[in-house]
Amino acid sequence: MSIAAVEVAERSGFRLRRAGNDRLLIAAAIALPCLALLIFFVFPLAMMLRRSLVADDGSIGFANYVALARTPGILKATLNSLTLGLATTAVCLVLGFVLAYTMTRTRVPGARIISAVLALPMLAPSLVLGLGLIFLLGRNGLISGMLGKRIDIYGLPGLLIADVLYALPQAVLILKAALAHADARYYDAAEVMGAGRWRQFFDITLPNVKFGLLSAGFVVFTVTITDFGNAAVIGGDYAVLATEIYNQVTGQMKFGIGAVVGLLLLAPTGIAVYIERVAAQRQFGGGAEGAVPPQLSFVPARDVPLSIVTGLATLSVLAVIGVVIYASFMRLWPYRLTFTLKHYDITLSGGYAPLWTSLLVSVVAASVGTFLLFALVYGIRRLPSLPAKIVYLVATMPVGVPGLVLGLSYIFAFNIAGSPLSVLYGSALLLALCNFYHYHTQGFLTMVTGMRAVPPALEEAATCLGSGAGEVLANVIIPVMTPTLISVFFFLFMRSMVTLSAVIFLVTPSLGIAAVSVMRLDEAGFVSQAAAFSTCIMLVVCAAALAMQLALKWLAARGGRR
Amino acid sequence: MTLELDRLHKTFDDFTALDRISLTVEGSEFVCLLGPSGCGKTTLLRIIAGLLTQDSGRLLLDGKDLSAVPARERGFGIVFQSYSLFPNMTVAENIGYGMRIRKAERAKIAARVAELLELIKLPHLADRLPYQLSGGQQQRVALARAVAVDPRLILLDEPLSALDAKVRADLRVEIRELQRRLGIPTVMVTHDQEEAMMLSDRIVCMNAGRIEQVGAPQDLYLRPATKFVADFMGSSNLLPTDWVRDAMPALMNSRPDGADADYLACLRPEHVRLQPLDAGEARVVDVTFLGNISRTKVAWKGRELMVQTGHVGGVAPGAAVAVSVDAAGCGWVRA
Repeated sequence: MSIAAVEVAERSGFRLRRAGNDRLLIAAAIALPCLALLIFFVFPLAMMLRRSLVADDGSIGFANYVALARTPGILKATLNSLTLGLATTAVCLVLGFVLAYTMTRTRVPGARIISAVLALPMLAPSLVLGLGLIFLLGRNGLISGMLGKRIDIYGLPGLLIADVLYALPQAVLILKAALAHADARYYDAAEVMGAGRWRQFFDITLPNVKFGLLSAGFVVFTVTITDFGNAAVIGGDYAVLATEIYNQVTGQMKFGIGAVVGLLLLAPTGIAVYIERVAAQRQFGGGAEGAVPPQLSFVPARDVPLSIVTGLATLSVLAVIGVVIYASFMRLWPYRLTFTLKHYDITLSGGYAPLWTSLLVSVVAASVGTFLLFALVYGIRRLPSLPAKIVYLVATMPVGVPGLVLGLSYIFAFNIAGSPLSVLYGSALLLALCNFYHYHTQGFLTMVTGMRAVPPALEEAATCLGSGAGEVLANVIIPVMTPTLISVFFFLFMRSMVTLSAVIFLVTPSLGIAAVSVMRLDEAGFVSQAAAFSTCIMLVVCAAALAMQLALKWLAARGGRR
Repeated sequence: MTLELDRLHKTFDDFTALDRISLTVEGSEFVCLLGPSGCGKTTLLRIIAGLLTQDSGRLLLDGKDLSAVPARERGFGIVFQSYSLFPNMTVAENIGYGMRIRKAERAKIAARVAELLELIKLPHLADRLPYQLSGGQQQRVALARAVAVDPRLILLDEPLSALDAKVRADLRVEIRELQRRLGIPTVMVTHDQEEAMMLSDRIVCMNAGRIEQVGAPQDLYLRPATKFVADFMGSSNLLPTDWVRDAMPALMNSRPDGADADYLACLRPEHVRLQPLDAGEARVVDVTFLGNISRTKVAWKGRELMVQTGHVGGVAPGAAVAVSVDAAGCGWVRA
C-alpha cells in the first residue's frame, strides 16, 4: 500500500446518538407544515361547510341554500360570472396562443420585450388594469376625449377587457411552455412526406399543445370568475358572483348565504383543477428525450399578421398600465396634464400605512411560507407512500380554492368569540398566512420540482461518507435547492403584495393593505391618488422581481451552470 | 475483512428482488455482481451499503451484525453510475468531504486530498467544480472521494456505464490498479460480462433474485453451472442430451448422471471446428465476418450450430462442411 492510511475518528459508533436527532428533525419537518396546513386550510373550509348548514336561527339544514336561491340577483350574478368567464377564456386562448406561438416558433423580433411587458400585469393588483382602462376609455378617458364621444366602459365590456389583460400573461406563460417542447424531427418527417405548413400546424403543432390549451383555459376561467378587484373598479352595474358574495357578507352580514356562495364557487374551480390535473398526467411522457429544437425561419405571410396582433396586444397592456403611472403624475386628469407629485400625498385615512402593512405581511408570508414548504417537501419524501400521497393531495388543493373563498372561510374559522384561534383575527400574521395558503399549491409544486433536482445518488453518496440528516440537508439539499428557495420566496412575496380577493374579508379599519387602499381611493373618487398608490405597489413588486433576477443570476454565475 | 451475507431476502410488494442470498466476500478481493437488469444485483449492493433494509437474513462484517448500523456509520465507500459529486464543491472539497464529516484535522485532509489527486492523476484540477470536468474525470474524483476515508469496503454501482467506450476501457484499468494498490475489498455491480471478467477476482452471476453461480471468471466461462450462466457469459450452443448422444458421443463421457432432460451440453462456438469437405454432412447457413474471426452458422443433423473460427477458405453459405468438436471444451449445465 503506497498510501498512508489516514487516521479518522473511531468508526464504529462514532455518532450513534445523532441518529435520534435525525429522527427528530424529520418528524418536525413533517409535523409542523402538516399541522399548519390543517389549521389554516382544512379547518377554515370545514368551518365554512358547517356554517353553510347552520341557519341564522341555529337550526341545522339547508335553510341557507334555500335562502340563497331566493336572494334576488344571485341567479343573474351567476349567469353574468359565467358569461364573463367564458368570454374572457375564449379571447385569452386565441390571443394567448398567437402571442405564445409568435414568441416561440417564429423569428419575430422583440420576444424579450414582449415577455417583459406581459409580466407587468402580474406585478400589479388586478384592479390596476381596470383603473388604467378607465383612464383611457372612461368618461374622462384619454381616448374617449380624442374620439370626442362617450364610451360606456363600465360593465361587461370594460370588465372583459380588464380581465383579458389580467389573465392573458398567465395564458401566454402556459402556452409558451407547451409550445417550447417541440421536436423538429416530427416536422422534418411531415415535410418529407409532403405536408404543407397548415397541415403541419393542424397535425403536429395543435395536437401537441392541446393540454396546454386546456390548462390555460381553466386557469383563465378560474382567475376571471373569482377576481374581485376589476369587478369592483370597472364592473359598474354588472353584478358578478365575486362582488355579490362580498355584499352579502360585508354589507348585509348574511354569513350563512356567504358560506353557501363560497362553497358553490369551489365547484367550477374544483372541476377545472381536477381536469387540468388529469390532463397533465396524460401529457406525461409526451416529450421525447433529446428532442431537436425546430429551426426558426421568417415566413412573411405568417409572421407579418402575427407580429401585428402581438404588437397590438403588447401595446394595449403597456398602455393600460403605463397610463396609470402617467396619470398619477398629472395635476388634473385629463384636463391639466402638468407634472405634479401632489397625488402621492395620500389623503385617505392611514396614508401609506397600508403599504407598509402589505410589505410586512408579504415578507412574513414569504419567509414563513418558504420555510414551511421546504420542510413539507423535505419531510414528505420520508413518509410511507400512502400518507405521502394524502399530504401531497392536501398540499395541492389550495389552488382549487379561490382567494375569495379562502378569505371568506377565514372569517368562519378565526372570527369566533371564545376560540383560542380568534386572537389571530385582525392581525397581520393571519393576513400573511391567508396569502401563503392562497398560493400554497404553486409554491409547493415549485418546491417539489426543485427537490426532484436533488439527485438521490448524491444524498446516498453523502450518507455513505458519513453525513447525518442535518449534514445532507446543509451540504446537498440546500445548495442544490437555493435557486428554488429564492424563487418561491419572491413568488410568495410578490403575490402577497398584489392579491386582493383573499384578504378583502380580513382587513379591518385599523389593518388595511395596499391593494384595498387602491380600491378605497377609487371608490372615494380619488382616482389619481389610486393611480399613485398603485404605482407605489408596482414599484415595490418590480424591485422584488429585479432582486430575484439578480439573486438567481448571481447564483448561476457563482455555480457556473444551472 | 470478511463480509458475510446470510440468506438475505427482499421483496418489493409482490416482486421478490432477492431470494435468500448467501455470499461471503473475503480479504481484499474484487467481486462483481453480474446479471441482467432486474436480477437484484443493485438491490443487493444497496442493502450492503445500508441504503435499503432487507426483509430477513443477516449481514455480517467480521462477525458483527450490520443490520442496525445506518449507512453513514458503516464506513463504506460508494461510487454511483451518475458520478454524484457535490455540484457546489470543488474537486478537492469533494474528495475531503468524508474526512470533514469525521472532523479530521485540516492539514491531514489537505495532505490526503493531495495524495489522492496525485493517485487519480488529476492534481491540476483540485479547484475545479464538477461541471467543468469530463465524465471520466468526474468518476475518478468520485472514486477518490470514496477511498479518502480509508473505507473497509468499496461499493461500485455500475461506475462505468455512463462513460463512452474509450474512457470506459481506460478507467476500467485504473479502477483495477487502484483497488490492487489499496487492497480494499470491492463489490461492483455491472451488467457487462466483459467488464466483470476483466476486473473481478470472483464473479457472482445473478438471475431473478438468485445467485446462479459464483466463481473466478474462467470458471464461469469455461465451466458454467447453469443454462443461464452459459447463455449470459458469452454465447454457447446448448444441446439436448439425446441429440449429443447421437451426434457427438465423445461428449457423453463428461456428462453427470441424471435424466436426459436434466442437463444440456454447453459447447462454446470456438470449440467447434469446420473443414470444407464436399462429402461433409453439414451445410453452411450464414457467415458473419467480424474482422479477426468469423461466426458461422451451420446446419447439422437437424440443428443449427454457432461456430467461431479464424478464416477458413471455401466456407460460404450453402457450402458443405465437416464438423468436429473439441470435447475438452464442452461442459454440461443444468437445464
